[in-house]
Amino acid sequence: MMLVRRDADDIREIRPRAALGALIVVCTMLVLVVRLYQLQILRGDVYVVQSIANFRKSLFVPADRGVIKDSKGRTLVDNRPSFDVFLTPAFCKGKERDEVIEKLQDYLRLGQDDVERIKLDYQKSWFSKDKLERFKPYLVMLDIPRDQVDVLEAHKTEMSCVNLIPTPHRAYHAPTSLGHVLGYMSEVTPEEMDDHPEYRRGQTIGRRGLERRWEKELRGADGKQNIAVDAKGRELDKDTQEALIPETERLVPATPGNNLVLSIDEKLQRAADVAFPGRAGAVVAMEAKTGFILAMVSRPSFDSNKMSGRISRAELKAISEDPLKPMLNRVMNENYHPGSTFKTIISFAGLESNAITPASTVFCGGGYTMGNHRWRCDKPEGHGSLDLKHALSRSCDVYYYTVGDRVGLDAIADMARRFGYGQPTGLDLGREIPGIIPDSTTISPESGSARAHAINAGIGQGEINVTPLQQAVAYAAVANGGDILLPQIVRRIEAPDGKLIREFKLQVLRKLGFKESSLTAVRGALRAVVNEPGGTAYRSRLQDVEFAGKTGTAQVMKLGQKQKLDPATLAYFSRDHAWFAAFAPADDPEIVVVVLNEHGGWGAEAAAPAAAKIVSAYFKTKREESAPPAPPPALPPPPPLATSSMVQ
Amino acid sequence: MSLGVTEKKLDNLHWPLVLCTLIICSLGVWNLASATKNAPVIMALVQFRWMLVGGLFIALLLLADYRWLQTAAWPGYVAAIGLLAGVAFAGKKVLGARRWLQVGSMQVQPSEFVKLAVIILLARWFARDETGLRKGHYGILDLLRPFAFILLPVALVMKQPDLGTALVTFAIAMTMVMFAKVKWRDVAIMVVGGAGAAVFAWSRFLKDYQKQRLLTFLNPEAYAKGAGYHAIQSVIAVGSGQWSGKGWGEGTQNQLAFLPEQHTDFIFSVWAEEHGFLGAVVLIALYAFLVLAALDVAANARDKFGSFLSLGIAALFFWHAFINMGMVTGLLPVVGVPLPLFSYGGSSVVADMLGIGILLNVSLRRFMF
Repeated sequence: MMLVRRDADDIREIRPRAALGALIVVCTMLVLVVRLYQLQILRGDVYVVQSIANFRKSLFVPADRGVIKDSKGRTLVDNRPSFDVFLTPAFCKGKERDEVIEKLQDYLRLGQDDVERIKLDYQKSWFSKDKLERFKPYLVMLDIPRDQVDVLEAHKTEMSCVNLIPTPHRAYHAPTSLGHVLGYMSEVTPEEMDDHPEYRRGQTIGRRGLERRWEKELRGADGKQNIAVDAKGRELDKDTQEALIPETERLVPATPGNNLVLSIDEKLQRAADVAFPGRAGAVVAMEAKTGFILAMVSRPSFDSNKMSGRISRAELKAISEDPLKPMLNRVMNENYHPGSTFKTIISFAGLESNAITPASTVFCGGGYTMGNHRWRCDKPEGHGSLDLKHALSRSCDVYYYTVGDRVGLDAIADMARRFGYGQPTGLDLGREIPGIIPDSTTISPESGSARAHAINAGIGQGEINVTPLQQAVAYAAVANGGDILLPQIVRRIEAPDGKLIREFKLQVLRKLGFKESSLTAVRGALRAVVNEPGGTAYRSRLQDVEFAGKTGTAQVMKLGQKQKLDPATLAYFSRDHAWFAAFAPADDPEIVVVVLNEHGGWGAEAAAPAAAKIVSAYFKTKREESAPPAPPPALPPPPPLATSSMVQ
Repeated sequence: MSLGVTEKKLDNLHWPLVLCTLIICSLGVWNLASATKNAPVIMALVQFRWMLVGGLFIALLLLADYRWLQTAAWPGYVAAIGLLAGVAFAGKKVLGARRWLQVGSMQVQPSEFVKLAVIILLARWFARDETGLRKGHYGILDLLRPFAFILLPVALVMKQPDLGTALVTFAIAMTMVMFAKVKWRDVAIMVVGGAGAAVFAWSRFLKDYQKQRLLTFLNPEAYAKGAGYHAIQSVIAVGSGQWSGKGWGEGTQNQLAFLPEQHTDFIFSVWAEEHGFLGAVVLIALYAFLVLAALDVAANARDKFGSFLSLGIAALFFWHAFINMGMVTGLLPVVGVPLPLFSYGGSSVVADMLGIGILLNVSLRRFMF
């Protein structure tokens, strides 16, 4: 009984503590309720968004890149279906990774350097600071052939970390000589993705040429497909998908890129490529009155298909080590002495400054002397007494030494700059060098006096450097009566449905404003170069069309011994550059053609015949296209505009 | 015991407690069915079976006066320690921890029963020891013996390692001590001493993953895909439930397996995601009622032993419910503590039912002398 009584006392003492305990319990539970209120009511919508983000995955739907067409509507570049192989590092680790790479090597017939690249990329992804990086698939092999697609499909289950992604690939149908114009595609770099978050890893971006310049227009916008996945990233069944993702959000279609319509005529491009005889050099064919480029060859070039696709490191190395530099766009990115083609410019410098008139003569005795230095003429025995027409058509050096000496270096530089030399022409196709036009402020005294420079400049040597594109612009100005035009290569940008988005119009940068007599005299002389006996390009004259032009043979700088080239190559690189700058028809020019044959030798032999062929091809095509189609004779011939409306 | 007495006794049964238990059990099975909808085994059915087994134990417990537990306290304690030691040597290793003993085709988690053994032994000690009566209060030195009872099993559980259970066992025991005659000054000293011990334990005994868990609690976003993933996904699940939840079986966090351990430690996230704030408050109220009912039984018990037993059981349910729900709502670090009668697990369910049985027994016999 005693014990019970004491117990009862104790329990009475427990009661207040139990009450306190009850209070604590209620308070603690209220803390939980407050926390739940905070999470579920106050921040509930935020967590709803996060829970949706958990299961919602966006697959991207690649946009079709815009196609590139020539001026006649021929497709130069489009897209073809193909498959790329991707690997997700997080889904195969350790031994499995090695097995998968071994299998890929077997199935895709990979080379050792490919395998090493794949392993390296794997390491990079796996050890990236960003832990999510390893969940991002990276590109293993681009554009695999059909039979390999089948093999991979067959072995899909053994390689769960490998994905075949259908990706439209760029297909270049144009001749490879258009490589520099079109450019190519390659995988976007991490740095570029930092600047442009709309690109995904493994996607390609335009490199060089039009692909790069018009990347934004061509690319379009990728679409999105939203799917629901579980925590392991597995796609859920159709019913669950439909329950979790509203129909309107399931697919955001891609917007295809816009199309480019060029001024290039593929037919003339091929003709120019075939006509060009040299190992290296450039051809530009341009509309004389508009500045639109019809053909543009830079040889050697690169194969855009090859560059955009699977190219091995060895092949890239061969390209970068090729002494002929295939990646160099010779039309606008290399300096050349213009040689005698520059005599046209000197003629204007003389005529416009009244240092000479078309009729005034200069006596050529085979050389020109200043102090104790003698400059020799091409013809050692001399040309005798010559007026402008004969001096230019026979390319007499002494006449132009004399004119150069008379007008002086700064007047020559001024005239050259008015023609567009010494500055980029403005062709919207990426990097372009300005060339070099020396004047009294830029020459160094050790290289000779300003007078000596002026005499050298008279025949386009010395420090004068130009690009073939600048030559085309300058000769177009001579041909069209004095308009310096902006050279252009894109005529239109069109929406995928053909709707016009932007049209490029002729742009006259400035007018030369020469005396009519000067223009007539020089154009007459250039006509004589081709069409009169004694003219340097007389042998290249055409039966069907009368064209004008100027030959040039530019001495090249002596190569140093350090170049370590074999004698045959050294001999090649020591030969003169052959030039020919032409316009046609001579009386009302439509087209300007500039041919530069690097180390080709004589302009008359190694450049003029090619220019003639290109001019001939242009007019032949023109006749064919404007002539009514012969059969069937029953139908009335279509109006002459029919062809041009088809181009639209 | 004659059947006639039993009939009369039924009127004295703590019916609100029985009802509360039945509701929690039903909701628990229903919720588990959703959490394990995609599992190959019908886990809810297995859980239900264990609840029936627990109910049977309750019925058996009620037949005898709870005072026989005083006699069983030491043997029970020794047996529990023996089982823990058995786990340490012959335990089944799951996810790096030895927590289970294989008994035939069943796996038993002895640490769940150790809590009960500790509660019974401490209740016995406080009921019999007269120091508190003589001095009017317990000094710290007087409590050394009960501390010794506690520390041995806690140390063994830590060894498994099972930080959550060790913490809960310790918290239950400490709560019981608080209800004895201890001066507040001594309580303060013990709290400071405990903090010191915690720091010591941190540097000496905690495994790296346990430290990691506590650290992620402090800054979960920093470990989004690593150790903090569980905590963040759980908070997303709870938060996205909003007012009324996504509906049974419709919780995306639960069904698409973004919730980790959704049928055991994170079962409350499933409930909160699918039944929202309203459902969660109802469940919290049920647990609060359960604990308050246990305190009520303690305050009205016939003797000190019954009173301390009930206090211990109240502490058992309180700490489990609070730590578990605090953990899944991001208030507390992620330590593996089951939610009583909600989390999947036979040992835990049976132990909880035994606790309910003890409460019912104490309350049933409150008027008998």
